[in-house]
Amino acid sequence: MSEVVAIKPHEKYYGVYVVELEDGSMRLATKNLVPGHRVYGERLFRYENVEYREWNMYRSKLAGALANGLSEQPIRESDSILYLGVATGTTASHISDIIGLKGRIYGVEFAPRVMREFVALADVRKNLYPILADARKPQLYRHVVELVDGVYADIAQPEQASVVADNADYFLKHNGYLLLAIKARSIDVTKEPSEVYRREIETLKNRGFEIVDVVHLEPYDKDHAMVYARFKR
Amino acid sequence: MAAVYFTQNVLGAFLLDEEGKRLAESLAPFKTNEIIDYLIDLEEGKVTQQAREVLEKAKSMGFNEVVVETIEDGKIASSLGLTPRVDVRASVISRFRERLQDLAVELGLCSSKDEFYTKLHEISLELSRRKLRKEAQKRDLLAIQAIRAIDDIDKTINLYVSRLREWYSIHFPELDELVKDHHDYARIVYELGDRENISYEKLKRLGFSEELSTKISEASRKSIGADLSDFDIEYIKTLAGIILDLYELRETLEGYIDAVMKEVSPNVTAIVGSKLGARLLSLAGSLENLAKLPASTIQVLGAEKALFRALRTGGKPPKHGVIFQYPAIHKSPRWQRGKIARALAAKLAIAAKIDFYTGRFVGDKLVKELQERIEEVKKLYAKPPAKKPEEVKPSKKGREKRR
Repeated sequence: MSEVVAIKPHEKYYGVYVVELEDGSMRLATKNLVPGHRVYGERLFRYENVEYREWNMYRSKLAGALANGLSEQPIRESDSILYLGVATGTTASHISDIIGLKGRIYGVEFAPRVMREFVALADVRKNLYPILADARKPQLYRHVVELVDGVYADIAQPEQASVVADNADYFLKHNGYLLLAIKARSIDVTKEPSEVYRREIETLKNRGFEIVDVVHLEPYDKDHAMVYARFKR
Repeated sequence: MAAVYFTQNVLGAFLLDEEGKRLAESLAPFKTNEIIDYLIDLEEGKVTQQAREVLEKAKSMGFNEVVVETIEDGKIASSLGLTPRVDVRASVISRFRERLQDLAVELGLCSSKDEFYTKLHEISLELSRRKLRKEAQKRDLLAIQAIRAIDDIDKTINLYVSRLREWYSIHFPELDELVKDHHDYARIVYELGDRENISYEKLKRLGFSEELSTKISEASRKSIGADLSDFDIEYIKTLAGIILDLYELRETLEGYIDAVMKEVSPNVTAIVGSKLGARLLSLAGSLENLAKLPASTIQVLGAEKALFRALRTGGKPPKHGVIFQYPAIHKSPRWQRGKIARALAAKLAIAAKIDFYTGRFVGDKLVKELQERIEEVKKLYAKPPAKKPEEVKPSKKGREKRR
């Protein structure tokens, strides 16, 4: 494997780093919160005594969205985030790197099999708060979640926009951000969204979200897009 | 009349006025084990004692209607004779939620916000584990197999390392004496191979101390071993590589056992750690079996040979089986060990029963009680007991041996 030449903070995205490798290629990375620990077999880089973890665009939709030029990376240090559909915590681990130990991610996941791995991860990363529950029923976990700065959602469900809005009603601050990974069927997201897809965005608008940006995740994920929106209470 | 708001959360049940001021409150028990029972009640929509208290107070203050966030809370209110109005986006309640962490400090449940979050993290982990446990069927058997696999790996590593040492000693016999640690030995062979290749710098890079690196590199220059070709050394390196893989596998298995044990048997794990916990399960056969054992049997699990010999000959029974590995036992002086072992076994018996039958987490309480008892033993029996002259002890040594 080729050696690291330099690691610099990303010019546009907060908390994201760009790794320049000897062979001239560039990788996205985040500062490893738990040095020495890998989460999903990603590469670790050491540079000037700091350890970074490669952020794989093919494994994490957020990385894919950033690589495709999302207008902003809204997550800041010490933010609290509600993460719907956290699965084994691949993307969550990078968000966990960005928010640091003063931040919190409430990771909601319904499938016990993947939750098990997330619980093990949360044991090591103290800013992950696992919640084994159905994201469609936010009332069942409202007792343990605070008012959050942002919602990240990756739930492959037909009614995902309304599920997200239900959660936002309970938990999202005024002007809080939403990052929604959405399954799109359109070719050009911004101009001609397909019926299914437009309906989802319409739902978001009706429920108090202002859409900031939408990007396609090609070639990292087929037929997926990332919606970035702000919530107005 | 002004509206009142009713909400429940991890801190307890609250009644708020339109300004968000607290009119009444009843706090939840803010201890990990008790609060989890409380949260599960909330999730199942049960009317908690806290909710009842607060809503009764609302009635006595003359309110008939309360605003709630969810239908579930509405049901609770109406079951206590109040008229609920559901408002999902009630801003009074969401503003209240925003202040959760400050409130925890204000109410004296935590000394700081950080402490609140640490506690909440603990609670969310434990709550998820508890729910996962319901899904977990027969996962105790997995932990048992994994711990047995670790034992097998240890045996295999020993076997392979002694072969590696003999084999590589044809080439570099001095290394056998210099590096006692098996893992280090295998690493040197695997990474460097031919002794010509061994140098001070390379050893330092592998993380050996200056002193040892100097010694080894000097010995490699003066070695009396036979010169081997790369062809011959390649196979020795392959064996060393397999040994290193086994060490790695052992480590990942330990991590795996840790995760499984915390889920399957959190209380036992809290007391003795995941590895010893898994050993106990392995000896008992399953969590169910362990839960059904009396403390006296748990105390001598793993010392069956000594126990039955004692029963047969009427000699002294063993004081401890595998729980000897518990640091407070093997680090204490002899005469205290039996007492500590008894206390530990009793706590383990309680823990295993709770793990199997309810899954509540009472680990911290059990650990605390056990620590107190150990302190007490250390204080009361600081000196070895005076020997009684009339008692003749035949061949005491052989009998005390265990494991």
